Amino acid sequence: MRHDIEMKLNGERLSVEVHPREVLLDVLRTQLGVKSPKVGCERGDCGACTVLLDGRSVRSCLVLAVETDGHELTTLEGIEHDGLTDVQEALIEHSSFQCGFCAPGIVVAAAELVTRTPHPTPEEVREAIAGNLCRCTGYEAIVDAVVAATRAPAHSGGET
Amino acid sequence: MTIAHDFEYVLPRTLEDAIDVLGRPGAQVLAGGTDVVPWLRDDLIEPALLVDIKAIPGLGEITIDDSRISLGALVTFADLIASPVVAAHAPLLAEMASQVASTGVRNRATVVGNVCSAVPSLDAGPALMVYDAQVEVVGPDGDRLVPLGEWFVGPRTTRLRAGEVCTGVTLVLPPVDHAGAFLKLARYSGEDLAQANLAVVVTEDRNYRLAFGAVAPVPLRARSIEVLLAGRELEDSLVEEAAQLVADEISPITDIRATASYRSHMCRVMLRRGLRAARDRLAGTGPPYGTHVI
Amino acid sequence: MNELHHVGSRAPRIDGRDKVSGAAEFVDDIEFGPDLLHAAVVESAHAHARIVDIDTSVAEAMPGVVKVVTGRDFPFTFGLYMKDRYVFAQQTVRFVGEQVAAVVARDPVAARRAAEAVSVTYEMLPAVLDPDDALDENATLIHPELGEYPHVPWFFPHGGTNVAHWRKTRKGDVEAGFAEADVVLEDTYRVPRYAHCAIEPHVVVAKQDHAGRLTVWSASQSPYIQRDLFAEALAPIGLTHHDIRVITPYVGGGFGGKAGVTMEIIGAALATAVRGHPVKLRWSREQEFYNTYQRQGLVATIKVGARSDGTITALGHEMHWDAGAYVEYGANVVNAAGLSATGPYRIPNVSIDSLCIYTNLPPGGPYRGFGYSEFHFGLESHMTRLALELGIDPVEFRRINAITEGDELPYGAEMNPSGLVEAIDRTAEAIDWGTTEASGDPRKRIGKGFALFWKAPAMPPNASSASFLKFNEDGSINITVSGMELGQGYLTAMAQIAGEVLAVPPSKIRVETPDTDRNPYEWQTVASHITWSCGNAVHSAAVEARERIIDTVHAARGYEEGTLYLEDEMVKCETDPDFELLLSDFVVSGLEMEDGTWRGGPIVGSGSFMPDFASAQSDPQTSQGGHPNVHYTVGAAGVVLEIDIETGKMKVLRAALAVDVGKAINPTTVEGQIVGGMLQGLATVLYEDMRFDAEGRLLNPNFTDYKIPTSLDTPEMVIPIIVEVPQPDGPFGARGVGEHTMIPAAPMIANAVADATGLRVTSMPITAEKVAMALLEPV
Repeated sequence: MRHDIEMKLNGERLSVEVHPREVLLDVLRTQLGVKSPKVGCERGDCGACTVLLDGRSVRSCLVLAVETDGHELTTLEGIEHDGLTDVQEALIEHSSFQCGFCAPGIVVAAAELVTRTPHPTPEEVREAIAGNLCRCTGYEAIVDAVVAATRAPAHSGGET
Repeated sequence: MTIAHDFEYVLPRTLEDAIDVLGRPGAQVLAGGTDVVPWLRDDLIEPALLVDIKAIPGLGEITIDDSRISLGALVTFADLIASPVVAAHAPLLAEMASQVASTGVRNRATVVGNVCSAVPSLDAGPALMVYDAQVEVVGPDGDRLVPLGEWFVGPRTTRLRAGEVCTGVTLVLPPVDHAGAFLKLARYSGEDLAQANLAVVVTEDRNYRLAFGAVAPVPLRARSIEVLLAGRELEDSLVEEAAQLVADEISPITDIRATASYRSHMCRVMLRRGLRAARDRLAGTGPPYGTHVI
Repeated sequence: MNELHHVGSRAPRIDGRDKVSGAAEFVDDIEFGPDLLHAAVVESAHAHARIVDIDTSVAEAMPGVVKVVTGRDFPFTFGLYMKDRYVFAQQTVRFVGEQVAAVVARDPVAARRAAEAVSVTYEMLPAVLDPDDALDENATLIHPELGEYPHVPWFFPHGGTNVAHWRKTRKGDVEAGFAEADVVLEDTYRVPRYAHCAIEPHVVVAKQDHAGRLTVWSASQSPYIQRDLFAEALAPIGLTHHDIRVITPYVGGGFGGKAGVTMEIIGAALATAVRGHPVKLRWSREQEFYNTYQRQGLVATIKVGARSDGTITALGHEMHWDAGAYVEYGANVVNAAGLSATGPYRIPNVSIDSLCIYTNLPPGGPYRGFGYSEFHFGLESHMTRLALELGIDPVEFRRINAITEGDELPYGAEMNPSGLVEAIDRTAEAIDWGTTEASGDPRKRIGKGFALFWKAPAMPPNASSASFLKFNEDGSINITVSGMELGQGYLTAMAQIAGEVLAVPPSKIRVETPDTDRNPYEWQTVASHITWSCGNAVHSAAVEARERIIDTVHAARGYEEGTLYLEDEMVKCETDPDFELLLSDFVVSGLEMEDGTWRGGPIVGSGSFMPDFASAQSDPQTSQGGHPNVHYTVGAAGVVLEIDIETGKMKVLRAALAVDVGKAINPTTVEGQIVGGMLQGLATVLYEDMRFDAEGRLLNPNFTDYKIPTSLDTPEMVIPIIVEVPQPDGPFGARGVGEHTMIPAAPMIANAVADATGLRVTSMPITAEKVAMALLEPV
């Protein structure tokens, strides 16, 4: 039996018909055309499909779409809805990503972190993205960029 | 690979409604889904009906009543990390939770779900066992409490009966001040499954509670060691004596994650380090909670 | 050379905004509309068996199923260097997971269920899972037809055995060399199989329209090789290069795993079976592990002799490669190692045997390092051990024997310019080599390890690159090439090279991802050759455009060509300081003359590059006489490693890696290769390991148990060191760096473990468990 579900996706209320077995990741990508969450492992190991469900990061491959009825979803597209964030600009400036396949998931994970911890330490950034696998970068340039973009103002004077 | 198995989905609004639908053939409870969804994908389970318990009121709370902490069935690992109650009374649980998977899974995966999945490597098992936890089960015939020590039957098998739902788990705090440590042996510092794990509690009156995981089909309390240590200070020679008993308590296997011999060796190392860390924490001199002791 | 403005700058990556914003489109993101069909593959359950019967009747009757095909429909072989691989298994399956049949259906669920309903009857054959068992004279032949497979002229298959290729390199007199040595050390080292683990799985969408044209969208490093191999394999059904178009958008990591052709051939073939429909085949993470390429396993026996003054006199190196069921690409890994397994040392007497051995495990193939990562583990472990036996500091020992420009290579040609000694010195300094460090924790020891590395591109001698360049009205530039941006920063490097020649900032240059209809030829993006080779092609396209600019200005304004130059997006003149002409004023429109006529026109350029000195022709018994490798990139790496001797857990406190890149086109992206490659190398030594059961089934085809390092598993500090001794034939002196940075990690760790604990581990990986358990054993 199919279910009509209503959700708020990136600020927009919409309804969609889903089968219970359809996972959120597939519904986002194939029915709703939201392509930033990527299919990497489909068992919650890689984090490439990370989205925010009611403001918390989740693996959209581990959530059934039907479970999101009445909830709020934010993907990378929603995070940058009003322009790229400071964290994103810093990631560009630092040339942090290489192949870029993990980038949407990492930007979403970092966005959740910054909401709760506006000025994270490098250790906090590492912890926040520890579920997002990246094979290219060694993570350093990603951590550096997130820290640089979120440094507390008292410490950022004079630095570039 | 998409889920190919077909099933129905219901979202009961009350526990009574949930019990009602769980009586149907092939019903399966869904909470965080971090185990259930991959199992569906791999055809490891083929339910006719998924009963999503996330709309049932009251299951998402962490409450303390005197010496008892109750975790509702929807309490996630992220909730444990954020909980002031846990931080104040049982920080061992937050130390355990912070070593489970990663943020995106901890935001969704429930502690009770971990207990119900009952994979041998579960992290919640040993951490709850050292608090003499009891599992709260509700079914068509009413409520029952199952001590966690009796809950696990074998890998992925528990005392949960068809038609029942696990609504929470209750911990009993020791009557005197205590400290603890949760040690997880894994290949990676980031998200990984346990090769072995150990929860330790030391009380002010020098009682000790120890529970190992991933080194037997089910998590286990190391009773012979607890008896040996009871009432005594942790002199080096006593710790060594305790370490010698580890082999009698555990029955590790060799699998893809570790050999039985490494698990055995490391359980002794973890016991030594865990006991000392917990004792030092009780004295206020130990490594802060969250510091990895191994 | 004049001062450089763009080459050598830390310009942000030109693909950064696409990737950080999610705008970057990968194959699986492309929309194909409601007509899209989905494929699922029926896989072999056995490592070695004869196919008795395939019953597709149940599957064909299932709702949503459009087509079921088997090997009977596509009885074709393919392969890059040797045609030994099958589109679908024919009479025989040779590894667990091999494609036997496929279902095309309306949706992925129907495809999966129908594939499960295809019934295959097998007759078991003995499986050969170990390369040394495969060498036994009574061993089951995995490819009885080996002697008949077409292959490149530099392969030497031994028909009637399981040896698909045997590369022999002989120089000097090895026995005499050992005889004059004061110390001779021999040992055997073992390296298991590894997985690439790009986060994007392989995916292909293919469509043959009703006019007959086959278009393939694939996540690939090799659009032109794919077109070529599709044309070759599908020639029997009438397809030619003219009919085939391969489009490769951004790719989510490669590391060699998306080089050549693997599962994409299935998609291409299926499209011809369901004309008019696009068909998508996307590998699951599990299939990604067992049916693409794996890094081959290696058993290497190394014997090295040296005089008491530290001079190496002779090296014997026998490598047995577990190459898997098909070696169409992997045999060239074996070949590359066989030519270069001396490492970056001056050694007068050399004997190398590199054997490519069929086994009933998944096909081996290219993986970042291309054989060098594998043999350096043993070789660089061995060099440290030999130095210590001689009583010589291991770093000093390497200085004594380091290869330098003009030295004779194992196959006789001369070594290219190299900054190896500078790399050694700067690495040693970065890790304070020669000083010992102690941990404050009595349970921990700190050791230091050192290793050298070298690697040459392994390519056909005529591997080539080409580029088109055009100006736009605003003075911006579009460049088309067919190299792949795998993450290494290639697009940015090409923009910097063109920008340098044409005085245009890289931020105003787009470098487009390949479409074989529109972008010019590129062999493939492998071998760390793309900055060098395609960089030369882009450079010459830019030079051609610059000449047209100068011609135009000369024709329209009368200045002598020799006095005109480009600076800051303008044409200027040495003899007229007041003359400045913005490129945007004329690079499309041309320049107007006083009489109202116009000169110039749209400025374009094209360039191509092929080395004219490389040759694969050499003596099969010695490898002497040819020039198979265009150049070597060399370097050194060192580590400060802390080991908990009870748990075996290791922490990299500091790692340094110096590499001679000739010229860093972009130091930031070079450092990205160093930091990222270092972690990939550390992963192979500290953690990863493919495990197979006794039936040849992969036990850990997932990120749960074949994990890759997370952000919490990185070194505390990585010190990247860039050495720049120019490569004379490279663009601005550049040579490749992509693969090299993971090569020294494994021996560097092995040497540090030995330094800290006295424990010499001769098999990878060196996990915490392995270290702890070995240290428990009574010495």
